[in-house]
Amino acid sequence: MDGLVLAPSDFVALLNQTLEIAYPAVTIEGELSNFRVSKNRWIYFDLQDDQAAVKFFGTVYNLPGPLEDGLKIRVVGSPRVHPRFGFSVNIVSISPVGEGSIKKAAQLLAAKLEAEGLFDPARKRLLPEQPQTVGLITAGSSAAYADFVKILNERWCGVEVSLADVYVQGAQAPLQIVAAIDYFNRLPKLVDVLVITRGGGSAEDLAAYSDERVVRAVSASRTPTLVAVGHEIDTSLAELAADLRASTPSNAVQLLVPDRAHQLQVIGSTRAILTNNMASNLAGEAQRLNTKAQIVSNLLNNFLETERQQLAASRKLAILFDPRAALKRGYAIASKNGQHLSSIKQLKANDQLQVQLSDGKINSKITKIIREN
Amino acid sequence: MPKPKATKTYQQLSDEFTELVAWFESESVNLDEAIVKYEQSMELLKQMEDYLKSAQNKIKKIAAKFGEH
Repeated sequence: MDGLVLAPSDFVALLNQTLEIAYPAVTIEGELSNFRVSKNRWIYFDLQDDQAAVKFFGTVYNLPGPLEDGLKIRVVGSPRVHPRFGFSVNIVSISPVGEGSIKKAAQLLAAKLEAEGLFDPARKRLLPEQPQTVGLITAGSSAAYADFVKILNERWCGVEVSLADVYVQGAQAPLQIVAAIDYFNRLPKLVDVLVITRGGGSAEDLAAYSDERVVRAVSASRTPTLVAVGHEIDTSLAELAADLRASTPSNAVQLLVPDRAHQLQVIGSTRAILTNNMASNLAGEAQRLNTKAQIVSNLLNNFLETERQQLAASRKLAILFDPRAALKRGYAIASKNGQHLSSIKQLKANDQLQVQLSDGKINSKITKIIREN
Repeated sequence: MPKPKATKTYQQLSDEFTELVAWFESESVNLDEAIVKYEQSMELLKQMEDYLKSAQNKIKKIAAKFGEH
C-alpha cells in the first residue's frame, strides 16, 4: 500500500472492510462511562479500564434495561469507523456482568417498571384450572425442560405442550425469549397458558429474565403467563411481571395442573357420596310409599267395615220382613186361585181357599163370611 | 397412544358433572329424574376416571426458529 494515495472516504471504506473481515464481531467487557441517550433513540457510551476507553454506539432497542455509569457490562458489537465521528463499536447486545452490576441493573429496571405499574398485583390474571394447551418457552435440551415434562406426565394428562426451544442465557437469550412470547401471542388460537422457565444458575446466567425487553413482553402477553426461573431463592423481574410465579420448573407444573392421584380420590369419594344419597332417596321414597299404602289400606278397611255393618243391618231388616217369619209366629197366608187375599170382599161362601202355614198348605172351603169393621 | 373413551376434554366432563351435581342440590328433586341423572353422573365419573388413567400429554417442538439459534 506504500505510495497509494486515498481519499478520506476511501480510507474509511477500506478500514471498515478490513475491520469487517478481521473483527466481524467483538465482545468487550468494561466499566460503563459517559452513558447518554439522544432523542430517546440513540445511545452512546464508553467502556473503559485503567488504560483505555472504547466508544460505543447503538439504539435504545439494544438496552437490556436502564444503565448508569459505573456498571460493568459486556457488549457484543461490530467495530466501525464513521466517516465523520471516527471509531466506535456498533452495539449488537449489552448485558450487565458480575453479580454487583447485574443486581444494580436489575434494581434500576425494577424501580422503573414498578413505577410504571408492571408488577401491580391488580394486573395479575387467574390461570385456567385445567389448561388444555400450554406454550413452553425454555431450552429443549435443559434439565428444566426434562423436569417440566416428567412432572407433567406424572401429575396430569391431556395437555398439549408446544415447546419454543430458545436460549435461556447469553446475549441471544432475551431476543429469543421475546420472539417466542410474541410467536405464541400471534397464534390464531391462543394457548391457555405460557410457561417461561429455566433452571438455576449464576446471576449472569439468569440475567435474560431481568432484561427489560423480556419483562415487558411477559407483562404485555395476551396469554396468561407463568414464569419459573432458577431456584427458590432466585427472583427475576420477569417473574414479578408474570401473572403467576413459580419457584422452580417442577413447581411450575404443580401450579399449572391439578394432581391426577388426588383427582381420582375425589372421583371415588364423590361416587360414594352420590350413591349413598341416591340410596337414601330411594329408601325415603320407599318409606313414603309404605306410608301411603298404609293409609290406603286403612281407608279401605274402614270402608269395608262400614259396608259390613250396613249389610248386617239390612240382613236383620230383611229377616223382619220375611213372611216366613210371620208364618212361624202363627200367621197364615190365604189365597184364592193363586192370588193372596187381604180382604173378605174378594170372597163368597163355598169358595175354595188355599192357606199357607209355616210348614205346609191346606185347601179349605168357605162356609161363612164374617165381616168386621 | 391410547385415547380416552370420550372425545371430550376432562374440563368438559368435569363441567357436565358439576351441572348434574347442581341439579341434585336443587330443592325439588324428582325421583324418576334423579335415577336418570344418577346414572348419568356415574357414567360421567367413569369417563373422567378413564380419562385420567389413559389420556397422555402431547409434547411438540415448534419448528419456528426464534432468532439466531
